[in-house]
Amino acid sequence: MGGYAGNLLYVDLTNGQVQVKPLDMAFARENIGGLGIGTRIFLDLIKDKPQFEALSADNPFILMTGPLTGCGMDATARWSVCSKSPLTGYWGDANVGGHFGSRLKLAGYDGIVITGAAEKPVCLFINDQEVELRDASEYWGKDVYATTDALTKDFRDQSSKPGQVLTIGPAGEKQVRFANLINKKGHAAGRTGLGAVWGAKKLKAIYVAGSGELDIAQPEKLKALRKELKEVYADSIYISSIQSAGTPAHLDVGIIAGDIPIKNWQMSDWDEIDELGPASIEEKIHAGDRTCYACTVACKKNAEVKEGPFKTPKGPGPEYETVAAFGTMCLNSDIESVAKANEICNRYGLDTISCGATIAFAIDCFEDGLLTTQETDGLELRWGNSAAIVAMAEKIGKNEGFGAILAKGSVKAAEHIGKGADQYLTTVKGLESPMHDPRNTHGLGLAFGVSPRGACHEASLVYEVEGGAMYIPELPELAEDLPEGSRGRARLNVACQDYGMFFSHCAIFCNLGAAPLNATQAVAMLNHVTGFDYTLDEVMKIGRRIWYLKRGLTNLFGARAKDDRLPARLMTPLNEGPTQGSVPDMELMLKAFYKLRGLDEDGLPQEAVLRELGLADLADLLYPEAEQTALSSKEV
Amino acid sequence: MSVFESREIFKEVIVGFFNLLGDTPLVADKLMASKMVIRFIYSDPDLAVVVDCSGDAMDVRPDDTDTKALVEMSMKADIAHKFWFGKVNLTMALTRRQMVAKGPIPKILKLLPAIKPSYAMYPKYLDENGYSQYNIH
Repeated sequence: MGGYAGNLLYVDLTNGQVQVKPLDMAFARENIGGLGIGTRIFLDLIKDKPQFEALSADNPFILMTGPLTGCGMDATARWSVCSKSPLTGYWGDANVGGHFGSRLKLAGYDGIVITGAAEKPVCLFINDQEVELRDASEYWGKDVYATTDALTKDFRDQSSKPGQVLTIGPAGEKQVRFANLINKKGHAAGRTGLGAVWGAKKLKAIYVAGSGELDIAQPEKLKALRKELKEVYADSIYISSIQSAGTPAHLDVGIIAGDIPIKNWQMSDWDEIDELGPASIEEKIHAGDRTCYACTVACKKNAEVKEGPFKTPKGPGPEYETVAAFGTMCLNSDIESVAKANEICNRYGLDTISCGATIAFAIDCFEDGLLTTQETDGLELRWGNSAAIVAMAEKIGKNEGFGAILAKGSVKAAEHIGKGADQYLTTVKGLESPMHDPRNTHGLGLAFGVSPRGACHEASLVYEVEGGAMYIPELPELAEDLPEGSRGRARLNVACQDYGMFFSHCAIFCNLGAAPLNATQAVAMLNHVTGFDYTLDEVMKIGRRIWYLKRGLTNLFGARAKDDRLPARLMTPLNEGPTQGSVPDMELMLKAFYKLRGLDEDGLPQEAVLRELGLADLADLLYPEAEQTALSSKEV
Repeated sequence: MSVFESREIFKEVIVGFFNLLGDTPLVADKLMASKMVIRFIYSDPDLAVVVDCSGDAMDVRPDDTDTKALVEMSMKADIAHKFWFGKVNLTMALTRRQMVAKGPIPKILKLLPAIKPSYAMYPKYLDENGYSQYNIH
């Protein structure tokens, strides 16, 4: 069978044991890969003791590639991580590109399951069959760039091929709740704070070198598909735009529609937006292109600020989300300061969305008198004060002073500040909303609300479909021309979740680079690589099961119907701009969505629905009384 | 049924609006800086319009099918009408090929910030020039 390396690594940090277990191919076919496999393993590991703290040794961490990772096609370099989130307390996952996943496959592993916690800093060394935990005390305290450079150099002589490093920075070590994991200095598994999970486990980094090859089940068919897709890509304006300007291309398009949150979601239009846009980036900070493994789209850009207060050495540049989080959200039109804040986040290992959004929240509090310079270590946290924004990002990374308050995330910071600070929050389930405004596309409001990991535009494909970047003619719900407003969005969400779980969570296509693919092409690629014979109907069913699994896990950790609502900030209509007067009708959409998904009034998937999907383990955990009753009747 | 009853009416409306953009420095200065020659190819009703920014002033030439244009934008007249109201999801229109662009895409996209003020101008232009029946605002 192609696509899979065929093995999983199990690493117990408590006793230092490393085991290699073969990947069961029937299990792989049933769950495809990525979070499909990751969530199943996670559930198996926690089902006997489902209540635990995210920053305890009891929290498993799972890194999974998909069958396409490393297959050499465009937009297939991605892989995923999952665990309980220390930021939200609910289900946490993140999806990332770069080179680490493909290298892991070439070393012979589809994923790594990490349990327990080490007593002192360790790193995991993988060189093909040689796998061991090593002392990482000398790297502890180093930033992401220094750790990446040091491990790459220190382990090169012991490796068959040059290695890839996945590491946390000082933020992860200090358990900043939105710390992330970074490969190659700029490819971040950003959201939900899983870098802090590593910090709590004292796992500093994983180094992987691999000399193997990935088998492709049907190479000739894959070659033909590559040829077909070459024309599709050449014809795609979406691909051209991200190739030329990277994801910040959205600043030019998103502002027209009102998709970009400005001033902590209080505006949707701004005279100074062009200072942050692609033209300004090209003029002031652009320093060349980068790419993920084998991807010719090459949407990643480098940045450099040669002089001035925000001098930044050449390195991975800010993505759209980062430009918006530190730029528009903070009313900061200085793109050089955004480049600097981005570099700080990359070095310390911080999620730029949560970091920028949390600083914007703090500015809002400061401007309204809830905070003074006494609390903020002397920093004037004012709209557009780029120096203060950059300084606060660094304080968060260091977990020091007022930065240590914000390092717990905006929800905890609001509790600390009090005085009604929660009115400025932009979180759903404790996760700061990404930089896309549901007042523009109402279906995205529902997507934010019901996303298992909290406010997220990538938890399904609603953003891509409703926003227009993806068009899937084989699925009527993903091809309809919906009228403006909230009607029809529940149905859209359900289909986008099912297809999205298959597309970007299990097979792990990149939502950006693979946007031009229709469903026929996506399923064909999966079949050509694996040799399986999936149908669209089958992958939709798998996607549906994975969605319920993630939803159920977040329910298991305490999320209920009240947590599916949007914060007041996102539900406040704006007086001007492209989205003037528009807010999603959450009650209408949620009611329809709950009915379609078979969720009860509490927001839990009904027991019968879970059992029908083959999720009996999850049903037993969510409905322990029912399980007990069943056991009792058996005994009788 | 299309918004504009005839080719003549659509030509009057769209050419008049392009000329207004050419007379508005806030928009025209940035378009002129691009030095681009763009041909808009409309259907239903059919019309070709060249917007030439290569000279000293913006030149709008209806029915010009001969000039070599760097960029060609094809769309239905109704889509163009909605676009100037800012009511077209540009990403979706391009993905679903309701708008087809040919030419150097990065250069085309760079024009978006330049034309942003025109969305507010279009409904006003329709009202002030006797075309208020087409104003969907």
